[in-house]
Amino acid sequence: MIHIVTGDPRPIFKQIVDAFRVKIVTGEIAEGTKLPSVRGLAMQLTVNTNTVAKAYSELTSLGLVEAQQGRGLFVAPRRQLFSDAEREKRLSDAVDTFVNDIVGLDYTTDHIIEKVHKKLSAVGQPISEGAARNSKFTPGNDSVDMEE
Amino acid sequence: MTDYIIETKNLIKHFGAKTALSNLSLSIERGGVNAIVGSNGAGKSTLFRILLGLQLPTSGTARILGADCGNLGPEQRGKIGYVNEEHTLPGWMLVQEVKAIQKALYTDWDEAIYDDVIGHFDVLPNQKVSSLSRGERAGFNLSMALAQKPEILILDEPTLGLDVVAKRAFLEALMFTTTGEFSDHTSTIIYCSHQMDEIERVADNLIIMEQGRLRCNMSPDDFLAEVGFWIVDFDAPRAMFEHPNILTQRVIEGQNHIFTFQHASNFENALKEAGATNIHRGSASLDQAVNAFLTQNHKKSSKRKNAEKAA
Repeated sequence: MIHIVTGDPRPIFKQIVDAFRVKIVTGEIAEGTKLPSVRGLAMQLTVNTNTVAKAYSELTSLGLVEAQQGRGLFVAPRRQLFSDAEREKRLSDAVDTFVNDIVGLDYTTDHIIEKVHKKLSAVGQPISEGAARNSKFTPGNDSVDMEE
Repeated sequence: MTDYIIETKNLIKHFGAKTALSNLSLSIERGGVNAIVGSNGAGKSTLFRILLGLQLPTSGTARILGADCGNLGPEQRGKIGYVNEEHTLPGWMLVQEVKAIQKALYTDWDEAIYDDVIGHFDVLPNQKVSSLSRGERAGFNLSMALAQKPEILILDEPTLGLDVVAKRAFLEALMFTTTGEFSDHTSTIIYCSHQMDEIERVADNLIIMEQGRLRCNMSPDDFLAEVGFWIVDFDAPRAMFEHPNILTQRVIEGQNHIFTFQHASNFENALKEAGATNIHRGSASLDQAVNAFLTQNHKKSSKRKNAEKAA
């Protein structure tokens, strides 16, 4: 399910966090899915249980998973964790990095926008303001339940 | 007060003119896997022998489970397990005979733990010990050491020479004794190895020893966060940058590759002041970080030796 490598600049707990984050955000692991137990994953990866526990606690504080009393950890419904200012800052930073990377490649703005557009719709990003924030993380889900 | 299961203060051990331990003050808390890393001759095995009460220090104190290491009674000895790299066992005996002797010697012996751990390895009770492979002997030794339910388990390069399958089985068995997988009993593991991939996987705490001195005692993640890796350009070709936080520095194709320890922001400012350009900060793997650490001290010691020769 997930893989870790030794000799990577990222500590193992970070590798576990990143692996789950990608799988959860892309929908490969659906909302409500139970994560392997700490010991189970530690055994599977041959890593220290404390390392897995640390990764799980980070995933919990990121809001990606949540504990259900006595039953273990489950993939949480997606929700916005950042303040509006923080979201704005993150978007600006990401756009700056993106623009710096592509500015020398001699593409027209139209071509670039089209590419970005395709990529965004592939991950289920809504196009207009009309769609609720919650829905944008659940690909292929048209109904929006604000209570979630 | 923190519960230190091992505590040494200003520990010094000389062998004739040679210094094996030089003012070593090391405290290890109860619980978890503690990995000790160091070049050959760093003093790890000497430290183990002193902790086990097999050798007395020249000066300083060493305590284990609250008792003086030079004066351990049967009660403390029964709580300390030890597995060495040779996995020495009487080859002419049967597996079950060796086990029976161990079982009789240790009052806390837990047969269920033995069965659990030995189940990781392909070892039969009526096998002759001499017919066991290196990995099987390692597994047999570990099974017996864990069945004693030691409070401390000391392992001196236990996975040396094991194949990947035996190594994985060994590490699995080792890890789950610290979490109470086999029983309510948990051990504190002190484990020395040169295998950084293993340490990255299993260690809660990283202890780096060099020339009989303690260099680092913290979690591998914290250690990694303190080590910086930089690639920078200097105008003057082959210029070496001098700074107290530098561990190692190499010039590769005109660029300086530098490993540093602690105070990364100060270092970045110092680089800029020295006229470095294209400053790129990367991150180091645990293997690279420990290597940079040990290489630095190697170089210093050879410099010092050269200086001593010249004097």
